[in-house]
Amino acid sequence: MSQLPLNAAEDLINANEEWAQSIIRDNPDFFKDSAAYPQTPKVLWIGCSDSRVPAAVVTASMPGDIFAHTNIANQFHSFDDNANSVLSYGVDPVGVEHVVLVGHSGCGGVIAAIEAAAAGPVEPHNPLTRWLNPLIRLVRTLDLRGLPEDEAVAKVVEANIFRQVDNICNSEPIVTAWAAGNNVFVHGWVYDLATGRIRELVVRSLPSVCS
Amino acid sequence: MPHESIQTLLNANEEWSQSIIKDSPTFFTQLAIGQNPKILWIGCSDSRVPESVITASKPGDIFVHRNIANQFHLNDDSALSVLTYAVKAVGVEHVVLVGHTNCGGAAACLQAAKDAAADTDASQPETPLTRWLSPLIGRIQSLELSTCSAAEALNKVVETNVHMQVDNICKSEPITTAWADPNAKKVTVHGWVYDLARGRIDELVCREAKHDENSA
Repeated sequence: MSQLPLNAAEDLINANEEWAQSIIRDNPDFFKDSAAYPQTPKVLWIGCSDSRVPAAVVTASMPGDIFAHTNIANQFHSFDDNANSVLSYGVDPVGVEHVVLVGHSGCGGVIAAIEAAAAGPVEPHNPLTRWLNPLIRLVRTLDLRGLPEDEAVAKVVEANIFRQVDNICNSEPIVTAWAAGNNVFVHGWVYDLATGRIRELVVRSLPSVCS
Repeated sequence: MPHESIQTLLNANEEWSQSIIKDSPTFFTQLAIGQNPKILWIGCSDSRVPESVITASKPGDIFVHRNIANQFHLNDDSALSVLTYAVKAVGVEHVVLVGHTNCGGAAACLQAAKDAAADTDASQPETPLTRWLSPLIGRIQSLELSTCSAAEALNKVVETNVHMQVDNICKSEPITTAWADPNAKKVTVHGWVYDLARGRIDELVCREAKHDENSA
């Protein structure tokens, strides 16, 4: 058999065709129904763009389950219209009940931020260094002295998750939702690349008021 | 129980990871060493368009950025940093910009454009979402939609949006730099539409480096 040059994009379209056919075989109305009604996912996933952490695959979810936003190092910056518009739209009109902020082991963005922090203060000069600037500043507040590299990365991965959860809880969509009694839960998760397992680090919700 | 949907996801993750390890014991430990995806997917946050499920892809296959209405704005550090990292650090070979039918963001823009034309919404308060959608709203205002049904108008907006974002991606620094360098790894930019009613991806446009002068 001759070796044809691989075209990953064509492969994806072919795989999509097979997948769609397999779904229709089991459930002929799946796609028609999906198109007829608005989406009603209960979960918004804010995670990393890393190819190894596809939200719906690692949670064995179906189309319709998870509203998703991914970027380098699973950031939620208060001044970022991109993430803020996703969170705003996710809370209302989509009506998610949970926001999960998902970091992961071995994150390339975290590794880059640790290296940049060690290199000393440099004026951010391109979109990637500007994007990582808040994370670099976070790294500088942590004591990583004497830690082997993988432990330092793990420490920053976790600190990053806690920080982004704080940012989300302080955001206008969540503050507004909670003020209106809409108890959207905000979770911080870490995905371990080596085991494929998600672990919950923290969960925040509407502070309960004693009546 | 408020956490039911979350517990379901966590349980499903546990079963999934165990089933992978049973079939392929080194799958995760190998993947933990590094990623080498060939594809960057820039798509919509819509829950009905999970890129890896609809393409039957595995972890490691697709680098992904999803936002409201699959935008690529040239002044957006989030999308730009993803594209920069994907092309320069990860070495993807294809950037696929994927719109979809029944897009809520596109529908919101269509409505906003109509309201602006009818002047029924004189001044909307500016929010991250209205700022995010304003380039697409502006583009829609130049479309001829008066003879279209509502469904045709939305489809036209979805397709116009895909072309518009592909144009933006092709003007970005990571792509113009890669295309100007004959020794750089080949990167192709595609504009796709995912049809929710069929579960199928259709290619609208495909752009590549041109090494001759002024090709269209």
